[in-house]
Amino acid sequence: MPDWNSAIKKIDNDAASVNTKHHSELFISEVEPIIKLNLRGKSRDFLSMVGKILNIILPTEANTSTNNEYITALWFSPDEWLIFKNNVTNRDTEEIKIEENLFKNISQKKLGSVTNVSDQFVLINIQGKNVYELLSSGCPFNFNDFKNKKGAVTQTILNHTDVIIYNEEINKINLFVRRSFSEHLWSWINDCASRL
Amino acid sequence: MSENLRITNNKFIDQTTTISFKFDGKTLYGFKGDTLASALLANNIHLVGRSFKYHRPRGIMTCGSEEPNAIVQVGNDASMTEPNARATEIELYEGLDASSQNCWPSVNFDIGAVNNFFSPIIPAAFYYKTFMWPASFWKKYEYFIRKSAGLGKSPTEPDKDIYDHRYLHCDVLVVGGGISGIIAAKTAANNGLNTVLIDDKNYLGGTTLFQQNECFKINNSYSNEWLKKEIETLNSIENLTIKTRTTLAAYHSYNYLLARENLTDHLSSSKKKNKIRQRLWKIRAKKVIIATGAMERPLIFNNNDRPGIILSTSIKKYIDYYGVKCGQKISLFTNNDSAYETAISLINSGVTVNSVIDIRDKTNSLIVKQAEKLGIKIHWKSTVVNTNGYKKINSIEIMKLSDDSSGVIGKKINEECDCLGISGGWTPRVHLFTQSGGKLKFKDKDNVFLPDKSELDQISIGSCNGDFELDEVIKNSFKLTNKFLNLNNNDYENLEIISSKEIDKKNIWLLPSDKPLGKTKPFLDFQNDSTAKDVKLALREGFKSIEHVKRYTTTGMGTDQGKLSNMNALGIIAETTGVKMGELGTTTFRPPYTPLTFGAIVGRNVGEFFDITRKTPMHDWHVENKAEFENVGQWKRAWYYPIKNENMHKAVQRESKAARDSAGILDASTLGKIDIQGSDASEFLNRVYTNTWSKLEIGKCRYGLMLNEDGMVYDDGVTARLGENHYLMTTTTGGAANVLSKLEDYLQTEWPELDVYLTSVTDHYATISICGPNSKKIVKKVIPDLDLTDNNFPHMSFKNSMIGKIRCRVMRISFTGEHSYEINIQSSYGKSVWEECFKAGKEFNITPYGTEAMHLLRAEKGFIIAGQDTDGTMTPVDLQMDWIISKKKYDFIGKRSLYRSDTIREDRKQLVGLLTEDPKEVLEEGSQIVAETNKQPVEMLGHVTSSYFSPNLNKSIALAVIKSGKKLKGKKMFVPMENKTINVIITDAIFLDKENKRLNA
Amino acid sequence: MFLINCPYCGERDQSEFSAGGEAHIVRPKQPTELSDDQWAEFLFMRKNIKGVQFERWNHAHGCRKWFNMIRDTSNDKIQAVYKMGEKPPIK
Repeated sequence: MPDWNSAIKKIDNDAASVNTKHHSELFISEVEPIIKLNLRGKSRDFLSMVGKILNIILPTEANTSTNNEYITALWFSPDEWLIFKNNVTNRDTEEIKIEENLFKNISQKKLGSVTNVSDQFVLINIQGKNVYELLSSGCPFNFNDFKNKKGAVTQTILNHTDVIIYNEEINKINLFVRRSFSEHLWSWINDCASRL
Repeated sequence: MSENLRITNNKFIDQTTTISFKFDGKTLYGFKGDTLASALLANNIHLVGRSFKYHRPRGIMTCGSEEPNAIVQVGNDASMTEPNARATEIELYEGLDASSQNCWPSVNFDIGAVNNFFSPIIPAAFYYKTFMWPASFWKKYEYFIRKSAGLGKSPTEPDKDIYDHRYLHCDVLVVGGGISGIIAAKTAANNGLNTVLIDDKNYLGGTTLFQQNECFKINNSYSNEWLKKEIETLNSIENLTIKTRTTLAAYHSYNYLLARENLTDHLSSSKKKNKIRQRLWKIRAKKVIIATGAMERPLIFNNNDRPGIILSTSIKKYIDYYGVKCGQKISLFTNNDSAYETAISLINSGVTVNSVIDIRDKTNSLIVKQAEKLGIKIHWKSTVVNTNGYKKINSIEIMKLSDDSSGVIGKKINEECDCLGISGGWTPRVHLFTQSGGKLKFKDKDNVFLPDKSELDQISIGSCNGDFELDEVIKNSFKLTNKFLNLNNNDYENLEIISSKEIDKKNIWLLPSDKPLGKTKPFLDFQNDSTAKDVKLALREGFKSIEHVKRYTTTGMGTDQGKLSNMNALGIIAETTGVKMGELGTTTFRPPYTPLTFGAIVGRNVGEFFDITRKTPMHDWHVENKAEFENVGQWKRAWYYPIKNENMHKAVQRESKAARDSAGILDASTLGKIDIQGSDASEFLNRVYTNTWSKLEIGKCRYGLMLNEDGMVYDDGVTARLGENHYLMTTTTGGAANVLSKLEDYLQTEWPELDVYLTSVTDHYATISICGPNSKKIVKKVIPDLDLTDNNFPHMSFKNSMIGKIRCRVMRISFTGEHSYEINIQSSYGKSVWEECFKAGKEFNITPYGTEAMHLLRAEKGFIIAGQDTDGTMTPVDLQMDWIISKKKYDFIGKRSLYRSDTIREDRKQLVGLLTEDPKEVLEEGSQIVAETNKQPVEMLGHVTSSYFSPNLNKSIALAVIKSGKKLKGKKMFVPMENKTINVIITDAIFLDKENKRLNA
Repeated sequence: MFLINCPYCGERDQSEFSAGGEAHIVRPKQPTELSDDQWAEFLFMRKNIKGVQFERWNHAHGCRKWFNMIRDTSNDKIQAVYKMGEKPPIK
């Protein structure tokens, strides 16, 4: 059985399998791997099939999200969404079940596409008073309204790197970054956080 | 400290906290709150530098960012020293070490000053005219000129300071924290607008902050007291952010502005440590209010550049704000009312005012009457015709102006003084307005350029908009702000304002002297040493455009960008040529407003953050195994893995041989991967690739070539058919993002009818490629359940499988020509599976190989690398890949271009193989190929695109593109190098295993 | 640096976008029936005028959607943005 490895080289030798880092007003942590699926489709049938399988209404308003007890869905574009599990589950069995179910009923029925992107993105959680100050150090996006909107989503650039920012709660964001960029961004974020 | 030059002033300067600093190596003392300039003046040091061309002694002239003379070198550390800092803007801190620039050996004895005596023969453009001839001598001249000129020293080591950038979004940005800016910011913020107020000083309030004069009162208080109360209320306003020590550097379109905040420049070195020195704010403002005020203008007269000649309002600031007397016996020379305010302040502080020399006939404004009441002597309708004193002014010569003011008359009066205040009126700071694309208009009455039309959502208020009287500044700032922000605020509606009004105005751009112009030195640009004479000479020599005169005379081209000199230069040009100022226009004001450090510009994009780095899941393994890395786009790819002291060549030879003899393992995770789903997926691939896809069986893979619409090869890769409507496309490493974007473009714009969805999965998969005759045995060990028999799992097919509980996909494809497998698995397991493969391959001496060996191996097989053997000018036909172009398909991207008159030319450059006559001789990539050796010039027929020494063939091999290459097989050609000519033979591009036997070995 | 109103995501900084040249140049449906000159007209000829220009832009670092923009190149003012397939709101 192959071992799971974080994309971000561990510097601290604590017991957790993922990276965490405390700063004065920020806590930054790598989120343990959870299933992430990219969904694409245009038709009403696509939306209702996703709703039926996941018991969730995909957000159709730009820059927003929806969620239920198990799953959160982020708006990417009028025909693209990212869904992810709210909590770590059994990767090997549950993940495959959800993915295969969606794939069978959406992709194979020609309603749209379902793609596993669990390892396409690394999820970094940043919380604390200085979250938006940190983001403003490398991101041209205007967070003035965003920061007060729980559940807001934006795809933008942070330190020259494409990111998806999900405002899980006020002063608590989830940042999705492509895995190959994640170590570099992690170190930029911590460098920046250390001086905020 | 010369005690007698300080007066007690507890308002702004903390005279209880003494600060020691060094200037030109000498330890001096100042107070907390001083600038370097005010501290130097308090120490009776006026002479701070030498002028650029004539090396004339120059002194502090202003109190702000427009300072032309007092530019100093700060610090002497090889990594932290900074040239061209303005002493008037440097806040004094413990341990500050500053020195004069542009003087050698010292500011008091300067060898270059000999230029001053030769100045009659150094007119405008002297350097251009003299040293450009003969052209070849310039290199020699330049060395000496640069040595004796030069403004300051650059640091020689990397900057140790930390800088960063921050974005800022606001409703209203107010630039300038003077009285207008405060009124505007308060009005905006109090009405719920998210407002930012910035000022380059360390305090708010501008010049009104220290205006304590009976002639300027608001609601029965002195203007400064009223303003102080206003400032105190700002802190409690929720929507208002105040940033002091922040200079607006650039104002771009769409209200995008850059401001530099100084965070630690005013701190002692121990307090600076580990802090960000400067931050560049990238501001997006919905609306911008410019309230940058005005600068006092110098007067242009003979010898107006001596140390001790200071702008009149700066003298006022030094006494009223810093408590520093610029002299003990001060004369003032003016064409307007401002100098009288200075005179009154000086008298009130116990400084002797010799006289005020005013070019106007007589005037009776409130402030002038007050000055007269104090007994200040005024020389009406008079001018200063000369000043004396070498290192510091000691006297001035005054004469009456003639009736029409074109000359001087009467007896010359000699007046002793140790300081001369000059005021030539006010120049609104319209720099930011024009930077943003705004157009100016000229107002004749005040001789000023004012903001006129702008395309952006912005206004200018206060004196930068031409309001110079206190009551007008307040009323108009408030009125304009209300209108601009659509507000009905009445906070400032009913103020009772007393303000002295300037009644009479008079302006003479170049003041007359009793000597002919040729015998005088009326300086225009103090930093670049250009005089009114130089400008007139340029005009005589035929320069008409103001931009040309500027460049020819270098007026306005110093580090101060001509803040003080521009208006006077324009005035003299207008007058001399008889053109109206408004028609003449101004030179362009370009960002930055004041110089920016390189550190502020680059921010944190230095060192490890200079560029983004992407890493594969197996990166740490490569590092542990001593790989050298190569940058491919932003990726770090393992290049080769030297063992012990191996050099690159040796390592690559060993790796390449091992891959063919037994087994090699390569990290191919960087290849772009795009998941394609949708009912039209096959049709889509038919349109984007040159070959046919609809008949590809599920479970099979195919190589595809993608063209641009112009028929040139764009990208290539293997695509696998995962299901009926499901494909996985691979692209080159560097092309991944562009290919996805291009394909999305076609889907969204040209073929919206196609039901196809693309999703990037590049980072989702780790890709491990194992090749060589033993690859099958190794894969079998890692995935025992997989049936690897050739029948079940032939070349160009794939199988889904499991490693433990983890899904994986194994593709049997080959970029080396060897029997090989690619294991694709979720990235998080990539490193672990790689290690598994390595362990399983140990008995077969499995050898990790890097990109260099990969390139060599594929070259042996004549496989191209898009981007190395192609350069955007190669069609598939040029590459001798005709076999991949479908004849049956009606259309695909680039098809029509394949039979344009240009693309069917037979003499296009075509891909061929190249063998050297001497099999040991390895060609240099990029070297040219010619057919003749003794002709000059010789036609270049093509060039080498890839070249290696093949350890498997034991000879040098190369790929090249060459004109009509297809027809030239077997021909001898030459590759001329610097010291020799290499003989080569054109061959087929496939060097090894033409029959593809090894694929199934 | 423009502020571009992506028709899908709203106002964003220019650095999130990439420009794609002149808009409303339709790829010929039957390229094989075109002469060299006609094909070259489609392939190479672009206006690049000073003044009001119709352009294609891609919200490359956002929703990845292509859209059209009407921009005055003389002052960089964006007069309108509209989705692919839609008619220009201004002539």
